[in-house]
Amino acid sequence: MQRQWVGLFLLGVVSVLMVAALYLNVTVRAALAGREIQALREAIEENARLNADYEMQVAALTTSEAMRERARALGFAPARNEDLLFVTVNAYLPPQAVDLSIRETTQTAPLLRAEYTQSLVEWFAERMMQASAGR
Amino acid sequence: MYAGYGWRYRIVQGILALLAAFNLIWVGRVQNSAEAQALMENVAPYSGRWRTYYPPRGEIYDRQGRLLAGNRTVYEVGVDLPSVRDAHTLALTLSVNLGLDYAEVYNTLLHPPEGKIYWVAADYVPADKGNLLRNLMDEMENSPSGQSLEGLILRPHLQRSYPEGTLAANVLGFVARDGRGYFGVEEKYDHLLVGVPVTVWEPMDPNRVEELPQIPPAASLVLTLDREIQAAVEEILDEALQEYGAESGVIIVMDPRNGEILAMASTPRLNPNEYWNYASLFPGETPYNRAISQAYEPGSVLKPLTMAGALEAGVVQAGTRFLDLGSVVVGGVPISNWDNRAHGDVDMTTCLQLSLNVCLAWVATQMGNDVFYAAMQRFGLGHTTGIDLAGEVTGRLKLPGDADWRPVELGTNSFGQGVSVTPIQMITAAGAIANEGRMMLPHVLYGIVRDGKQRNFAPQMLGQPISPTTARTLTNMLAASLDSETSLAHVEGYRLAGKTGTAQIPIPGRGYTSDETNASFVGWGPLPDTRFIVYVWLEKPKTSIWGSETAAPVFRRVVERLVVLLGIPPDNVRLSSSRP
Repeated sequence: MQRQWVGLFLLGVVSVLMVAALYLNVTVRAALAGREIQALREAIEENARLNADYEMQVAALTTSEAMRERARALGFAPARNEDLLFVTVNAYLPPQAVDLSIRETTQTAPLLRAEYTQSLVEWFAERMMQASAGR
Repeated sequence: MYAGYGWRYRIVQGILALLAAFNLIWVGRVQNSAEAQALMENVAPYSGRWRTYYPPRGEIYDRQGRLLAGNRTVYEVGVDLPSVRDAHTLALTLSVNLGLDYAEVYNTLLHPPEGKIYWVAADYVPADKGNLLRNLMDEMENSPSGQSLEGLILRPHLQRSYPEGTLAANVLGFVARDGRGYFGVEEKYDHLLVGVPVTVWEPMDPNRVEELPQIPPAASLVLTLDREIQAAVEEILDEALQEYGAESGVIIVMDPRNGEILAMASTPRLNPNEYWNYASLFPGETPYNRAISQAYEPGSVLKPLTMAGALEAGVVQAGTRFLDLGSVVVGGVPISNWDNRAHGDVDMTTCLQLSLNVCLAWVATQMGNDVFYAAMQRFGLGHTTGIDLAGEVTGRLKLPGDADWRPVELGTNSFGQGVSVTPIQMITAAGAIANEGRMMLPHVLYGIVRDGKQRNFAPQMLGQPISPTTARTLTNMLAASLDSETSLAHVEGYRLAGKTGTAQIPIPGRGYTSDETNASFVGWGPLPDTRFIVYVWLEKPKTSIWGSETAAPVFRRVVERLVVLLGIPPDNVRLSSSRP
């Protein structure tokens, strides 16, 4: 009889320890994911700044003045009308203004999956809800 | 023996159970005490922070997609005052690299203001200096010398930047450190460029990290300006000011078919990267962009509008004869020609060709007040054009019934005296003559890029002040004077229409100056398929007071560059290739 009580007590302790270990594991993973997200946010900002800087660098290298200087250094001079030879090309379309549309659209899917935001209790409740709804 | 000790075990068990219960009660008491609540309230602000995410300010491009305004990284250099270990090294570093006063920095580090834990030493520090400081921090982190930059904090952020410097500065405007756009496109479209900032609570506890809401990106703008045309026009304008000794000037190039501004140059020009020079460069009431913000009496460039109104009303025809006796009396005041001569029997084309004030004043009297002023209003005089740039002014068209209107104004207004307009008003009105009578809304916005999609601006018509027939008739009349190779506005190989203007400058209460003028020219082409209209205004040229000798050659230089940059072949090529 006493052994049964001891066995039951130990079973309870082991169960509590298992839940605690699982909870600790999930919590640690959530914390790590949280830190990673914070780092990724900073990386996104950093990349946005880098992108802007690179765009500025390209623009600085190709300014009107810079291009003219480069052309002059290469021996070119601004064209005059009498320098040009016009050729008739059927169905020629004159250059149009730029279209800066891009095909990719901004991603609107959630950044954080539920695994990183739910507590164990919430996860368990959700499973129960899903199980009861699916029955 | 075991049974004999049983009661002792129970006592120990009881004591342990009591201790456990006491601990639980004590923990509960501590957690719910007033001190615990106060502590929680005190640390709450440090459990996270409210942070506002600003989308990077939208970029501005020319019509070919070349960047005119973008963003670059700069640094806020701050100091976490409680963390400072080596005030001398830190003050010396900031002094050497950022030009700060050593004593002031050192004193602030040693004796920070009461309650202050973070001090901004400098902001908008260029990236190269910021990176240099970062490298120094890395080097000193493990330095055996004991020197330390601990406490130094570098916070990168974006700042508006204009890679082309002064190019198109009068159109672009600038963004100051308060993040607001001033003048031009930056002010007009500030609400689009700045985007929608999002403020979120960011917990420090990674377990409580929340999803960052999507920050809608700010819109970028594509302008109608062509960078190469703008650069050419600015260069020509600057050379013209030097050559003719003019105080200031404006050149506008527009496509009259849709109102797109291809170039707009005005002086002086500010480098928007150094916008703090604004006050010194634009003293007093100097407008930032004279093309839209300075009204002046245009003189004879307004004559085509008078003639357009008269032709449209059927008051005169191109061949209508007029006997010019050198003077005409309007409202009891005699009006003479610019050369004080009589030119005898002339037709309307010659009137425009010789720019005869007497003839145009006579035409206006034939129209009468109602017809004349209705025509001027249809051309938009006295109203803003609605161009999408901040700071447009209206000019002034006095009307019969106004307190300061006198009957002689009908005569003087007909040749551009006593009426004030802005260059953008004049080019918009003349654009109607160049565009079959349709007056288009002048604009600099070509398209808006948002969410990866570009939406283009649809041209808008302001009205139709004259019929296509009148527009064509008048264009041919104006082309007659430029057909002559003696005109300094003549461009070899291209048929153009245009009109010079030389206007004396009014002195309030004292009439007009005799030796200072506003020299202007408006012209368009190539005929008959007009693709551009150019407006030139030189303020107070010194070498010659006449528009025909100053503004006209500037027009020619602009057109000579335009036909190359726009790829417009000479008439013989163009017209022969368009024939079936």
